[in-house]
Amino acid sequence: MLSIHARQVLAKAVLPILILLAVGLVLLGLVRRPAVDGVRLMATDFMAPAYHGLVWPQERVTVWLMDLRGATDLAKENSRLREENRALRHWYDVAVALAAENGRLKKSLHWIPETVPQYVTGRVTRDDGGPYSRAVLLDVGSGHQVRIGDVALDAAGLLGRVTEVGPHTVRVLMINDDASRIPVTLAASHGDAIMAGDDTASPRLIFYPQDHHPVEGERVETRGQSTMPAGLPVGTVHYSAPNRPVVVPDADLDRLDIVRVFDYGDDDSQAPDAPGRVRIKKLPQNPLTGPLPFSWLPNLPDMPGRGGQ
Amino acid sequence: MVAENSTPHLHSAVEPRQTFRRALDMAARAAMPSLFVMFCAILLSAPFGIPGQAQLQFGIAMCTVWFWAYSRPRSMPALAVFLCGLVVEIFSFGPPGTVLLSLLVIYGVAHHWRYGLSRLGFIAGWLIFSIFAVLASFFQWALVCLHAVALLSPAPGLFQAALTIGIYPSLTALFVWGRRTFANPDQA
Repeated sequence: MLSIHARQVLAKAVLPILILLAVGLVLLGLVRRPAVDGVRLMATDFMAPAYHGLVWPQERVTVWLMDLRGATDLAKENSRLREENRALRHWYDVAVALAAENGRLKKSLHWIPETVPQYVTGRVTRDDGGPYSRAVLLDVGSGHQVRIGDVALDAAGLLGRVTEVGPHTVRVLMINDDASRIPVTLAASHGDAIMAGDDTASPRLIFYPQDHHPVEGERVETRGQSTMPAGLPVGTVHYSAPNRPVVVPDADLDRLDIVRVFDYGDDDSQAPDAPGRVRIKKLPQNPLTGPLPFSWLPNLPDMPGRGGQ
Repeated sequence: MVAENSTPHLHSAVEPRQTFRRALDMAARAAMPSLFVMFCAILLSAPFGIPGQAQLQFGIAMCTVWFWAYSRPRSMPALAVFLCGLVVEIFSFGPPGTVLLSLLVIYGVAHHWRYGLSRLGFIAGWLIFSIFAVLASFFQWALVCLHAVALLSPAPGLFQAALTIGIYPSLTALFVWGRRTFANPDQA
């Protein structure tokens, strides 16, 4: 049994020791952030079923409210839907015609078909942004093939990229996070730019060509680079202030529910070695003067660097 | 001779018998503040889509630790603060360790000044708490900036501090009632 004095000393030492441990955790977070985030991901994995249970009543109430609202103005809704259906039918015809034309053109060009990306669909388990970051956790089930760097999209457009992968859960860093940098192409002005998140609803455009400023309202698409394929819809350009172009995302970043994570592979866009860039092995001096060495061999291989010059 | 028996055992006649059930009840009541912080931290990590959920996690933990550290330290020992901080850290995604460190510092301050704070009025206590809430949010912001190697906007930190200061009176009302009733180990 400890003496009273020893117990007093111990009681006084507890708080400083705990504060030292907390400082250690802060330092660990600065140096080895993935280790800490791994523990958090495991906790979320463990809690995922409970989260579904907690959110279920809220989802039901939302559905009821939506039904109730729909029931109150059925006639207006009906006419709106009829109008929308007519417009959609027109667009369907246009899309079918364009798809047929596209197929014909590709056939005449001997277009090599692109690989179909693998994807998994997951429900947002938790919004784990905190005050300074924008990220979500997705429950993609066990046995998924998601890798770090895969692309996440919702029904309308690009959402972000996968930064951490757990057994059931993956973490997606959204395009408006402060750490997010996505290479994009502007559809009308054909300029390249970087879309940089700044923790607001609309990420900024930076590093665009100074002689081709982004045009208000033009479409923004991804630029093909490593795991990011080209042509994914991102949003539209908007000038929030003079000389401050931002992207208004197509994806609804505030209310996320179902998200798809695509794996486009990372070895598609590796540039082949250009013939002109291949280092030419040094040829022997005056190879044709005198008898050729090894002339008794049946087939001499071509010298490297001679073809395709 | 009379003097020897004049100080009977304290409450010997009214104190209930110490049973296992009563000990459990007392422990549950004493652990109520810590359980409240942990429950709120886990509940607020669910995807309800309420604005300011992450900031509320921090605010509730700060208010609870501050109140119980000066009003009844036995219900909020340093180890319990550490455990609460760890749970909040695990169920939030801010810079690691900041909430834990802020809670321990605010606990140390409140525990050290508990006699002075108990004598002060509510407004004065709230003002002192506000200063520490702002300092803790500033510390968190500074660490995020250090990690990102960039000067980020301090607006989210200020919002967090404002929310923490704003929920303090209503939480204090709940805790004052709880200190008399459901979180009072003497009532077990």
